[in-house]
Parts: sequence; structure tokens; C-alpha cells
Amino acid sequence: MEKYLVSKGDFLNLINRLIKEGKEVVAPVKQENQANFRRIRSTDEILWGGPQTVISAKSFVFPPKEELLRYAIDDGINVQPKVEVKPLILLGVHPCDINGTSLLDKVFAERNLDENYLKRRENLTMIGVECLAPCSQESFCYRKDSVLPWDGFDLFLTDMGGNFFAEAGTKKGESLICSIAREATQTVSEKIRKIRRERDALFDREQRKLKPKLSDLPRLLKENYYSPVWAERGAKCFSCGSCNMVCPTCYCFDVRDCVELDLRHGNRSRWWDGCMLTDFTRVATGEIFREDRGARLRHRTYRKDYYLFEKWGKSFCTGCGRCGKACLTKIVDPLDIANEIYERSRSR
Amino acid sequence: MTIYKPEIAVIKKVEKLTVTESLFDLEFITGKNLGHRPGQFVELSIFGVGEAPISISSAPLEDPTFQLCVRKIGNVTTAMHGKKEGDKVGIRGPFGNGFDLGDFKGWDVLLIGAGLGLAPLRSLIWAVLNTRQEYGKVFIIHGARSPQLLLFKDELREWESRADVEFYSTVDVADESWHGHVGVISTLIPQVNFDPENTQAVIVGPPVVYKFIIRELKNRGMGDKNIWVDLERKMKCGVGKCGHCQINNVYVCQDGPVFRYDRIKNLPEAI
Repeated sequence: MEKYLVSKGDFLNLINRLIKEGKEVVAPVKQENQANFRRIRSTDEILWGGPQTVISAKSFVFPPKEELLRYAIDDGINVQPKVEVKPLILLGVHPCDINGTSLLDKVFAERNLDENYLKRRENLTMIGVECLAPCSQESFCYRKDSVLPWDGFDLFLTDMGGNFFAEAGTKKGESLICSIAREATQTVSEKIRKIRRERDALFDREQRKLKPKLSDLPRLLKENYYSPVWAERGAKCFSCGSCNMVCPTCYCFDVRDCVELDLRHGNRSRWWDGCMLTDFTRVATGEIFREDRGARLRHRTYRKDYYLFEKWGKSFCTGCGRCGKACLTKIVDPLDIANEIYERSRSR
Repeated sequence: MTIYKPEIAVIKKVEKLTVTESLFDLEFITGKNLGHRPGQFVELSIFGVGEAPISISSAPLEDPTFQLCVRKIGNVTTAMHGKKEGDKVGIRGPFGNGFDLGDFKGWDVLLIGAGLGLAPLRSLIWAVLNTRQEYGKVFIIHGARSPQLLLFKDELREWESRADVEFYSTVDVADESWHGHVGVISTLIPQVNFDPENTQAVIVGPPVVYKFIIRELKNRGMGDKNIWVDLERKMKCGVGKCGHCQINNVYVCQDGPVFRYDRIKNLPEAI
């Protein structure tokens, strides 16, 4: 896709015009000392270059609670699937979240198409923004090949002072800015290369190191299924599931029925669920198939850096650092776990 | 049509099998055939309560009626037990791989159903018996905790009386009505005169039984490739998304619930 240069003023005017026209635009905003995605009324509200939002961008393609169907019970039972989605512009998304969404695109379109997800995705305009400095102490996106989006964005912006360098990932992104943008010249491209070289050096200096090679993670984890690391860290786990909730790639869900007071109408919705929760694998007989906290931590870690990594060729941890930050006992950070396993397996 | 929308089925008949288990005959109101394989399951919906995975207990037939044997144990199954003939419920599926009869044709088959495991196994048993000439010897082994908890008693008697079936049964705890073998189901295996080289064994039961039965089969010289298991997990969505049923990297609702033992014996979470 084409690369453009667009003046910041023109771009923000465009977004403000879209907001005035009634388009729903969501962006990171500052809330007390945190960042959160919120619907904005003006681009002045946007928090540029802030910390990662508490909840990732996944909540706009896979909401924490989403109705799947509604039913009415009279003589018969009338069941109507619910796939109601409005167009949404998500602006200011960090590469870790764009990549997280791009991974979700794979799993929700695999084998059985998940219409609810796909419809939301189709209606979403994803406008990313490059992080020119690490967003937090916990992030390690540079170590996970995730400082730039692989795909999954419509537009991706890089701050060049008075202008944005804008890469169009789709026709939708391209047509959004075509009236205000000009094609990026050779000089601009060179400047971008320089910005990114400096950015890489900064991230390399400031972000915690991943001791094993990224591509070795599946093998490393596979070989350490019985490592004491799982039990030791698991022993401190509160099974609160916060790591699952904040993760941009966790996509497990529970399905629940809610009935209205008339007992004749209701809906069935899916809610985020988490493999770290005790009851996640519990069946009606009371059997819990993954009862041990260490085993659950291993399962979560394996999902990110072994099972799904091996299956899709990309780590399902994009290094956003949210889980490490959210974890009360500091046991869950996938980079810490990988490093500890690596060190221990070397000293054996 | 989304993957989460159930189709409406009507309950044609309810038969109480034990204190906690009933057999429900169901038909889609559209009249369409479920079109399942033995070992597959459906997601049973009670609107207002939720969904639960229930294995299909009837053999695949031309008939649009299919049967679910439901134990009253959780929210959905308890609500199901409150339903009567003519009531409507939701069904999604069939899901999972199920058994491929082609894997058993020409072989002796050893069909082992422990407890409620007989419910899904019954589908396979009748599928085999309906084309009996395609198989060698047929062994059926069933165990229950007590004589009161035996399921499908008429059919157990029928299988026991058939000349073309070798039938064995046991209870963990006997009462005065029981004159047969007493002990957990794995203690029956040494009594069964099967040829491990020419037999395919199928085990369906609660999670605890697999390793004991497999050990007995292997003691008799049976190879891992001749053993099939049908595993229970929390299959919430049935379509390989929600994550609850995973055994390591395997989605039981998609890649299972039927597995040849050699393909899962290295998955530590499986058995």
C-alpha cells in the first residue's frame, strides 16, 4: 500500500469533521493517571504517546460482554441472532494492539466463522500510531517483533513534527485521507528510516531483554513443561484472571443467559473468561480439569508463546506489558517467565 | 445464521432411566435429520438457563428422532429434567469428530462403557450391531456404581442374551438383586477373552477410569493404536473458540472428543 504525508492539522480537522458528522471515534484519553479508550468529541482529548490503555483495543472487536442472540418464548420459541454493529473509528492504537487484533482475526475466522467478531472487524477503521518511546516500564514490544504492526490496520501514523507519515494498510484507510495527503517522497522515507533506527536503539536500550531468541520460545517452553517455575509462580497466583482480561490476544469466553423479569424474553451473551480462573475448566460433576494454579499459568504462557505461536507463526504475546502490570503478585509476565526458564535450563 | 444460534427441537418422549438420568427423544421442528456420527455431541439449550454439551445417545438413523441421555447434575440438565413431552428446547450441532466406523470394520471390537459413558457408547454399540456382519467379535463391557444406576436395562439384557455379542457387566457396590461381578470396571478386563492383535477397543467413561482401563488393556498386549477414548471436557461453544475444552493445544470440541490413544498419550493433560 501507499505511503503518504499528511499535515497534522489537516488530519485532525478531518477527524473532527467526521465526529461532527456523527461518526463514532474512539481514542486513548487520560483518566486520572491511566489511559483508556473512550469515545471522543474532539481530537483535543486524545492522549498521544501515553501509556498503554488499561484494557486493550480488543474490546472493540470482541467486547467484554456481547449479545449473541435474543429469544422470546410464547407458544413457540423465537430465536434471533444478534449481530448489530455500528461503524467505528479507532484512533491512536499502538502497534501491540494492532498486532493483537490481527492475531484475533486469524482465530475468529478459523474453521467456524464468528460472524459477531467479523462484522465488528469489518465496521472498524483501525488507525494506529507509532510509539517513538516505550510506553511503560512493563512493555517489551521490541522483544516481540511488535514495535510496528504486521498488518491489520487501515492507517498507520508516525509523528514527524508538523506532519504524520501515514501508511495505508487498506483501501479504506487510503480513501479516508486521499483528499488531504500527498505521496511520501524519497526524502520523507529516508527520514522515517532514521526515526525508526533511533526508535529501535531507544527501545533496545530501555526495554527489558528477552534472553532466549524469540523464535526459540516454542521449543524452550515445550522442553520445560515440568519446570519448577510453574509451581513456584503458580503458588503465588490469586487466580484473579486480570492477566487474561487486559491481554490483547486472550479470547476465551463464557456464554450466559440473561432473562428479563417477564421470564419470556432474554438474551444469550458471551463474556470474557480467563484460563487462569479456577472454574474455567470445571464441568457440572465438579471435576476441574486444570485445577492447579501452576498448570493454569503454564497453559496461559503456552497459549501465547508455544501452542498458538507454533500454529500461526507469530507469538500471541505482543509485548504490551499489560499482564505484568496488572498482576498483583508479579508472576505472569511472559518475558520474565521465558527468561527464568531460559536461565534455569542453562544452569542445569 | 450465526454459529451460536440453536435450532428448535421438540421433546417427543421422556423416559426415566434412573433417579438422575432420563432419556429424551427429540426432533427438530423443521423435520431435518441431525445427521450425526456416534461419539458426537450437541449443545443443548434451555432458554433462560444456558447451554450444555450432551452426547448423542442414539445410533445414526434415517429417522429424524435423536436421543439424549441427560443426567440431572448442573443448571441446564436440571432444567431439562423439568421438561416434558411437547416442550421445546434448542440444539446446536452435531459437534466434534465422533467415531469413524471405518476404523472398526473388519476388526473385533471391545466396547467399554463406564457409568454414564454408556450414553454416548450406546450410539456406537447400535451402529455396530445394526451392521453386525461388518465386524468380527463384539464385546460389550459395562460397569455402574450400583445396580440402581444401571442405564438402558432392557438393552443391557438384550445385549447379554445375543449370541453375537459377548457381554460383561459389573457394579462397584452390589445389593441383594445383583448376582454378577462386583468391582470397578477395570477388574473385568482380565476376564474378557479378546485377541489384542485383532481388536479395536473403545473406552467411554468418567475421567477417572481411563488410565486404569488402558493399563489393563496394555497388560493384555494391546497396542496404543488399537485403543480409542471419548473424553469429557467443558465444551462451551462447540466451535473451537471459547477455550474451555482444551487439552494442551487440542480443542476437544473440534479435534475430539474421540481420540486414538497413541495420538494423545503424549498430551499430559489428556488422561
